[in-house]
Amino acid sequence: MNIRGRLFAGPLLAGLMAAALTGVGAARAEPEDCPTPPEMTDADIKLPLVGERLRAHQPLSVVAIGGASTMGKAAGSPDLSYPHRLGEDLAKAFPESRITVANKGVPRQTAKDMFRRFETDVFPADPALVIWEVGIYDAVQSTDVEDFAGTLKDGLDALKNRAIDTMFVDMQFSPNSATVINFDAYLKTLHRAGDLADVYVFPRFEMMRYWSEQNVFNFDDVPDADRRKLAARVYDCLGRKMAEVIRRAVP
Amino acid sequence: MSAAPASPPSAPPRDLRLDFFRGLALICIFIDHIPENYLNYVTISSVAFSDAAELFIFISGFTAALVYGRALATRGALIATVQVLRRAWQLYVAHIFLFVIFIAEVSYTVRTFNNPMYNEEMGVGDFLEHPHIAVVQAMLLQFQPTFLDILPLYIAMLLIFPLVLVGLRWRPLAVVIPSALLYVAVQVGNITVPAYPPGNTWTFNPLAWQFLFISGAALSQLAAGSRGSRARFLAIAAWPALAIAAGALLIHISWTLHSVWDAVPAILAHQLWPTNKSNLSPVRLVSFFALVTLVARWVSPQARFMRVAVAWPLVLCGRHSLEIFCLSILLSALGHFLMSEINTGFTMQLGVNIVGIAVMCLTAAMLDWYRAVQRVPVATAGQGTGSAG
Repeated sequence: MNIRGRLFAGPLLAGLMAAALTGVGAARAEPEDCPTPPEMTDADIKLPLVGERLRAHQPLSVVAIGGASTMGKAAGSPDLSYPHRLGEDLAKAFPESRITVANKGVPRQTAKDMFRRFETDVFPADPALVIWEVGIYDAVQSTDVEDFAGTLKDGLDALKNRAIDTMFVDMQFSPNSATVINFDAYLKTLHRAGDLADVYVFPRFEMMRYWSEQNVFNFDDVPDADRRKLAARVYDCLGRKMAEVIRRAVP
Repeated sequence: MSAAPASPPSAPPRDLRLDFFRGLALICIFIDHIPENYLNYVTISSVAFSDAAELFIFISGFTAALVYGRALATRGALIATVQVLRRAWQLYVAHIFLFVIFIAEVSYTVRTFNNPMYNEEMGVGDFLEHPHIAVVQAMLLQFQPTFLDILPLYIAMLLIFPLVLVGLRWRPLAVVIPSALLYVAVQVGNITVPAYPPGNTWTFNPLAWQFLFISGAALSQLAAGSRGSRARFLAIAAWPALAIAAGALLIHISWTLHSVWDAVPAILAHQLWPTNKSNLSPVRLVSFFALVTLVARWVSPQARFMRVAVAWPLVLCGRHSLEIFCLSILLSALGHFLMSEINTGFTMQLGVNIVGIAVMCLTAAMLDWYRAVQRVPVATAGQGTGSAG
């Protein structure tokens, strides 16, 4: 409670004022309206190539490959997706580098489908960093867990061979669905694959669950009219948290 | 119960290990089916490469051969076949029952999936989009969402079982060798069995898992055979088995600890993970047979620890495995539902686990009591007509 109290009070006011001043719409979340416990973003993450590019003030190309939630479809526009917000925040933090974040989200794809797209959607952009959001559709389709693990390994190997920095983004949290879709096995597999390859897994599932439990967001009963807004706010928070993690990884 | 006329003296006492370890498997299945359950750390899968599924299928093959083997010997192939098929039908009905529970859960979840953040990818897609096809596919054992995967395997095994049974009696190697070859072919050629929706495969590949079921059946026939050679074999095999089991234990504990605390190295994780469960990868199979060897060598059929009061609930669960299996699936779904709706805190987890296991054990006790009660009037009626024995 204490931590949350501290996180909330001051910055919330500042955030509201900033929102008023810049005239950003309600869809845009402000700094401390989606707090997370420090350990969620306090990661031991290595992004050597990204660090090299940024320190040398060279252009930085990032590719976000993933599914519908990478695409930002639920928010209504790719400009409201988390890769977009990530790009904005990184550009602000590293103004000397020209930073591009390509959004390669395609709905309803398994890890294997995405891995097949590496050749066309990822490598041609010559990225220094690939953000691979993966696992939702595998869990929905109940792909064989070992196949899933194998594909993740193959994907990581392919990226490693090209010396591309990589991070995973795990699943979205959704209340109720867990009884029907067995996310747990895929979540564990994704984290283990990341752990074995020394690749950071952005804990989206934990974060969203935290927000849900702390009533920061209510994913459960959303009136139709507010659904897009909710999605946009969540993506915005995720993009900012991701930027925060990357900023910390680049000293 | 009053002293009912005991079973004929020729029947050996029931091998308690079968009931005990199958009961253990059922409890583990319950625990493992609740995602994010802390108790997952202490089920079979955290100490060996195999898990409760191997144990359940192996013992099912073993007991099936015992029960229907007896029918085959005393009443002939036709009766034995009919009995096996009747059991398969019971399993099928249980499968449909579980499917209805699945539908209920899906229906409840629809509310969430209407949210655009989820519906793009997480619609329980094929079920809601093509319910007419999904229902038929479930009835054909082709649609196997979350927990509807192990019964189809069991049913498939029973459907071929009459042939296996007759084969084992006639010429065991004529059954075991083709079964092993098929298993090897699956490993080498990565052969899978297609399921619904298109692109999916059977979660438990029957072409691979048949080997475990048939091994169980064959070993139960063998166990009835000469004791001397079996003891000699076990005396030798127990040592490598012990080494394998200890190695698997060490590796798995290191993995478990590593997942909690990074500083502990995950031994051989790069080489041995993942182990393919769908196709019953050799690592799992070897690890499992090592455990079987250890039990066969050092646990006697009537071992003391299985006869103490604490072990009795497990034995009862194992004795009524079909009912308790279905119940465990239902309970883990319910338990998980409660956890995701209310909270996943420690107290909640503890409560769900304790209540779930207690309900399973009490139900098993009730079933056992009912079976005993049912038998009594039959016995007295038999005495009346003088045809007892």
